[in-house]
Amino acid sequence: MLAIGGEREEGFDPTLGWGRYGSPLFQSTLLRRDENLEIVNDLATGYTVSQDGLTWTVTLRKDAVFSDGKPVTAADVAYTFNQAARSGGLVDLTALKEAVAIDTHTVELRLQKPQSTFVNRLITLGIVPQHAHGPDYARKPIGSGPYRLVQWDEGQQLIVEANPLYYGQTPGIRRLVFLFLEEDAAFAAARAGQVHVVSVPQSLAKQTVEGMKLHAIPSVDNRGLMFPFPPKTGATTPKGYPIGNDVTSDLAIRKAVNFAIDRQALVDGVLEGYGSPAYGPVSGLPWEEPTAKIEDNNPDLARQILAEGGWSDKDGDGVVEKNGLRAEFTVLYPANDSIRQALALAVAEMLRPVGIRVNVEGKSWDDITPLMHSNVVLFGWGSHDPTEVYNLYHSKAAQGGFFNAGYYANPFVDRMLDLAMEAPSEAEAIPFWRAAQWDGKQGFTAKGDAAWAWLVNLDHTYFVQECLDIGQPQVQPHGHGWPITANITRWKWTCN
Amino acid sequence: MDVQLRSVLLFLAYKLTRLGLLLAAVAVLTFALLSFSPVDPVQAYVGADMLQISPAQRDLIAQRWGLDQPMLLRFGNWLGQMVQGNWGTSMVFDQPVVQVIQQRFELSLPLLAIAWLLSGFLGVGLGVLAAAFQGAWVDRSIRLYAYTLASSPPFWVALLLLIAFSVELGLTPICCAAPPGALAEEVTFWQRLHHLLLPAFTLTFIGVANITLHTRQKLIDVLHSNYVLFARAQGESLAGILWYHGLRNILLPALTLQFASFGELFGGSVLVEQVFAYPGLGQATVQAALRSDVPLLVGIVFFSALFVYAGNTLADLSYQIVDPRIRLGGRIG
Repeated sequence: MLAIGGEREEGFDPTLGWGRYGSPLFQSTLLRRDENLEIVNDLATGYTVSQDGLTWTVTLRKDAVFSDGKPVTAADVAYTFNQAARSGGLVDLTALKEAVAIDTHTVELRLQKPQSTFVNRLITLGIVPQHAHGPDYARKPIGSGPYRLVQWDEGQQLIVEANPLYYGQTPGIRRLVFLFLEEDAAFAAARAGQVHVVSVPQSLAKQTVEGMKLHAIPSVDNRGLMFPFPPKTGATTPKGYPIGNDVTSDLAIRKAVNFAIDRQALVDGVLEGYGSPAYGPVSGLPWEEPTAKIEDNNPDLARQILAEGGWSDKDGDGVVEKNGLRAEFTVLYPANDSIRQALALAVAEMLRPVGIRVNVEGKSWDDITPLMHSNVVLFGWGSHDPTEVYNLYHSKAAQGGFFNAGYYANPFVDRMLDLAMEAPSEAEAIPFWRAAQWDGKQGFTAKGDAAWAWLVNLDHTYFVQECLDIGQPQVQPHGHGWPITANITRWKWTCN
Repeated sequence: MDVQLRSVLLFLAYKLTRLGLLLAAVAVLTFALLSFSPVDPVQAYVGADMLQISPAQRDLIAQRWGLDQPMLLRFGNWLGQMVQGNWGTSMVFDQPVVQVIQQRFELSLPLLAIAWLLSGFLGVGLGVLAAAFQGAWVDRSIRLYAYTLASSPPFWVALLLLIAFSVELGLTPICCAAPPGALAEEVTFWQRLHHLLLPAFTLTFIGVANITLHTRQKLIDVLHSNYVLFARAQGESLAGILWYHGLRNILLPALTLQFASFGELFGGSVLVEQVFAYPGLGQATVQAALRSDVPLLVGIVFFSALFVYAGNTLADLSYQIVDPRIRLGGRIG
């Protein structure tokens, strides 16, 4: 019995976005990521990408059947991809031109332009049966996944049972019940001994629950300060919101912030130790550049960087100036998020001694949106899909939305990101993802342009019943809860 | 007889016209308010996936829900469908609005009914008790209880009760409308009742304060009146005074208040259902509001307007049964 939140009220239709975190349970995906985030086959027996990167040919295993007994064919796969591309749900397949079934067990995915990260769609999109996919599907899913739906009481619980027709290893737990509870109620239920897995906020992780063990699972669920990159010139986004900030457009300021912050103190103080310092957006993932890491908690170096950048405190008010401009900016955070609030306040305290004044303001996302291109924002991201890196830092991604909200632009980084995107496979793209972070001379991380000041990665904390073995979990993406189901078929009950 | 029938029909026609006007106003207002709400429905739908969803995909999502059209056109479309009985499709649940409301209300109804009846009887009872012993410790403790409850936030009371009865004492279930893990066909009537107990009591505890205080005040007025003084002078006992003079005089305001409390009841259930993970209409309301699900929210507002209106109409109708001095004809004719 699990209380990990995250009910999907829309139902369980992968073409609308079900299953993109963790396991789609009822459906299976072409590929999946193992504990080390390596890509392994699932429904597929292999795939090749054409020389120009435009055609992905996937071969399917022949023994897979849907839970209604009908075989899984290439036509079903093609249908799933085409349907998901059209349906306006939460699966972004705008890169796909069309999916075509070549024969019963081969399918071709034709793209608009090469995209190495397209592999993530093969990893996350559950395959639905063409013959049974209709308006009712989301509430009565049929698939070739490890589990089948027994009962869904909306707003309450989801009961699933092992699918006897599943081609893979039979799941260790035959029957699962997901309870959809608010955080407080879920914790209360765990304390009353009624649930076996409960996801808790870090603030509750210090508590003990009888008969349960705390699992702190590392994640790339990160938090960082996004700096507006260009100076204020009066330029605006297509919606008319101002772009740029004269203070944060100065490299010395961005670098000084990065070096002055004590990230380990943030982990210990704000996250109760359940987290790790973040120096980039992809901590712990295969495409992280390890040399991009810096020695932080160094206010002296920060002061030196400021002095060399022409910033000094002439009027003696404790804040440095340059050409009459005070080193002062506002950090915005979503007001309902207590962790981000604490991070913002702690950062403001850490920057005061080096002469940078930070004003901290909590607002709703709807109020932050117009301000986020001209103010520092405490964002949180983290995904198993490196497309996110592209969207955070490519100059072309800056369109006045959440993508590259700070209008960061560096031709070298752009070129690296483009090369990564156009690489034929994820493995071949990795060197370019890394170079964009830091290649020894330039990059978007603290040693280079310091386009962001990444702060911490959260650990996702769960209380798990002592008898339940949840195996080795992956480094989890943004979104607490469902990602723990990624290896759910390996879970075992060790007591009797 | 003929006059009587005519006045009933007139009354109904009057009520229905007012209802129609009310619903029209509610529709326009809700729609307008939601359109000016700062919550962007596409953003609310996308949620934490902001960096996975490209602008092109956002456009596709907006198209799917018709959000790419101007507000007036959307209102026109919606109104046209509404007149034909189609309340639209909920964005959160991807299901017809009517279906969502029906499913959810079926679960909320017993909760609301139990809470309504209990808080009515309990409220009047406590009010009478307090007034009869005005100034004594009974009165003081009842008033303390009522004032405390009237000023406590319902969700907080709900949480306290949950901790006390479910976590510490283990008497009541922690959540949901049925035992977790049980299949629908296995769930017994008693299990359902067991799961209703705590939410219903919570709603009762909260609802009781208002009616207790009003009943008490009204009864004190009655007890200080000349005719009670006269009855007392003739040797009538306290019980007799309460029964012959008190109850009849306080029943009318109590009933009005009780039926008028449909609105508060509905509001209370929103919070209580959220805390107890009770999947009724209240919980759906929270979802719809947080994610700017305009069709569902308008549907629920409509439905609750109907619900509250029905309560007030019932109050009007109950007058003539309780108090023969009030006649329908007298009010309209």
